[in-house]
Amino acid sequence: MKRKWFFLFLILTSTSLISGCWNARELPDLAIVSALGIDKNEDGKYVGTFQIINPSYVTGGLQGGGGGQGPPVTVYSSTGDNIYELTRRLSTKSSRTLYYAHTNLLVISEDLAKKDGITNILDAFERDYEFRTTAMIVIAHRSKAEDIIKTLTPLDKVSAVKVIKTLKNAESLLGEEPTVTLQEVIRYLVSPGKEPLISGITLIGKKKNANKVANTQESSTPQARLESDGIAVFKDGKLVDWLHGKTARGTAWVLNRIKSTIVNISWEREKPAIEYTVMRQKTKVSAHTKKGQPQISIHIHAEGDIGEVSVPVNLNDPHVLRKIEIEVAKTIKKDVNDAIHRAQENKTDILGFGEAFHRSDPKEWNKLKTNWNDVTFPKLEVNVTVEAFVRRSGLRNKSYLSELKNKR
Amino acid sequence: MEKAKISAYQLFVLIVLFEVGSTLLIPLALDAKQDAWLTILLGMVGGFFLFLVNFRLFHYYPDILPTEYMQKIVGKSFGKFLAFLYILYFMYMAAKVVRDFGEMLITSTYPQTPLFIIIALFLVVIIYTIRKGIEVVARTGELLFLILLLLGISGTILIAISGIVDLKNLLPVLEEGIMPVLKTTFTQTLYIPFGEAVVFSMILPYLNQSKKGKRIGVYALGFSGLALTLVVAINISVLGVNLTARSQFPLLSTIQTIQIDEFLERLDVYFMLTLILGGFFKISLYFYVAVAGIANLFNFKEPSRLVYPMGIVILILSITIASNYAEHISEGTRFISLRIFLPFQVIIPVSLLIIAFFKHRKKRGK
Repeated sequence: MKRKWFFLFLILTSTSLISGCWNARELPDLAIVSALGIDKNEDGKYVGTFQIINPSYVTGGLQGGGGGQGPPVTVYSSTGDNIYELTRRLSTKSSRTLYYAHTNLLVISEDLAKKDGITNILDAFERDYEFRTTAMIVIAHRSKAEDIIKTLTPLDKVSAVKVIKTLKNAESLLGEEPTVTLQEVIRYLVSPGKEPLISGITLIGKKKNANKVANTQESSTPQARLESDGIAVFKDGKLVDWLHGKTARGTAWVLNRIKSTIVNISWEREKPAIEYTVMRQKTKVSAHTKKGQPQISIHIHAEGDIGEVSVPVNLNDPHVLRKIEIEVAKTIKKDVNDAIHRAQENKTDILGFGEAFHRSDPKEWNKLKTNWNDVTFPKLEVNVTVEAFVRRSGLRNKSYLSELKNKR
Repeated sequence: MEKAKISAYQLFVLIVLFEVGSTLLIPLALDAKQDAWLTILLGMVGGFFLFLVNFRLFHYYPDILPTEYMQKIVGKSFGKFLAFLYILYFMYMAAKVVRDFGEMLITSTYPQTPLFIIIALFLVVIIYTIRKGIEVVARTGELLFLILLLLGISGTILIAISGIVDLKNLLPVLEEGIMPVLKTTFTQTLYIPFGEAVVFSMILPYLNQSKKGKRIGVYALGFSGLALTLVVAINISVLGVNLTARSQFPLLSTIQTIQIDEFLERLDVYFMLTLILGGFFKISLYFYVAVAGIANLFNFKEPSRLVYPMGIVILILSITIASNYAEHISEGTRFISLRIFLPFQVIIPVSLLIIAFFKHRKKRGK
């Protein structure tokens, strides 16, 4: 009997002692960081801006309960000589311990990326056990990272979520700006055969009003708003160029990062005439050496539908579709070639041609890799072939525009 | 020797859990860069050979433990000395794996918990299991093996459907020729984990159908070899060689990369469960054979009495073994491989087999 009581005592004490983690932290003591921005001030110190979720104001007002009038996020900032110091210095201002496991967005200011480069600031994020390397990284284009973090947005109340969703949405529908995670950026920074690209975000409108709750309470366009804006090109860890529109899309084609996009083609000298939607695509990049000269071949295979026509054209006729296909292929090829030229002008291999060489011919790559970005890559001969297929044309065959033409 | 019997299936499960145990989690064979998976396959072939050597020895002396047959093969006093060295080796390995386990838990999840507390709590569970004998360890293995298998299968499926696998990262194959691959095989993968199966020479005598032992052992080594190859190949194809080599725990990084439609992510618990299950069996088996060896060598009637004092020795050893994680890992994967693994896993068993072979031929000749 004594033995039994002894065991019961042992079990009770051990459950109460062992089950609690050594460094347990209660929810009310945590500040959940949703986004983090990094700038550099005049003194050459880093300025970190931390967007902290304000739980009671985020919950939906429709379900009753807590959805109040306050701002859904609170922003703190601190300065320091390195990233780790920033996060610790913040303790003088924040009553709660910062918690990074939900940080999905890292914003870096354009200034910092241009002058100092991003190489020095990423280690802390990769090393910390709480921070996730799947966090998305963006560059604050034409604005400070601080402003992006401070902006309040309607619809998606936490602006970090809004930025991530916007970028992903744009990537999957327009395909101009491939999004990247911290992990990918570090991988390409290190790789001798590929340089990183980071998508940009910008603040448009009245910056003064960006951090006011009123900014979220207008049905029309808010006075200050966040928009995705181009992709930043890096060389040796420093920002060297921005790509927009077609060049950006050409780059995405080469990287095989297009999920869906639109291609605008001209028809019988009218432009724009036919809108082609890419539904699925596959890009193959292969490297080889011809007569001692390194060469790259890119083959793009695109399948899609007709989205809109603004000229009378008979879509019942396979010959017409064939002509459209050729036209689409030409347009895509032009975008891709433009993107390649731009990259070669910038002397930075954002397209991963070096990695293609590494894979197909490691011996040759060993010779090429020392001066890859500055000497070999800009002079590289690239052959682009595009195959485009029109599969369907929506619910109508001929456009009513053809009937209109007959009526005249 | 304890009066216990384990079935062929239980042996299979124990070998797989032991082999896969901590090896799944550490950066393995990455000196061979993207060919790491190849070195594991080669190591596995070497592992078959080493296991057959141990099995042959068991075949000559089916009823006694290696600590005893060593005395019969090389003479009483030298055999005892050799057996004692083996016991030290087993204890050292137990301590090493305990430390691995503690370091992993601290780095990945419990940064502020003292190493001593984590290791001590874990050893308490292991001591309890070992006191109950090998049969209990084997039955626990049967149960937990299924859980590990389920984790493995579902984890692989999740990685596959999240679309993060990029097989291009495995190219080019044999970038610098076959030499780095062979070198890594003979300095690392042959010993960790395949040569480590020398532990099972202490377990084989408990097998109830000794005839099946050979086939079961080879199957189990093959299964764990393929599983490890798959995991290493997945790690490299998800993270790239560079990041895999820079990760303290590549599998954890891979699992953290899984993101399926924004709701299925942060599956770190997969890593934690694998870590605890694998660590438990690896430590238990090393610990158990050390206890069984001492009991056999010094004629202890009740081996279970040895468990507590030896547990304390392992606890202290595991903490004093290295002053930081980097030291511990480089010691464990590079330094000891040729100095400790090579003699204990390859040279001694092979030479024992050669001597035993000639002794038996002489006997038969008479």
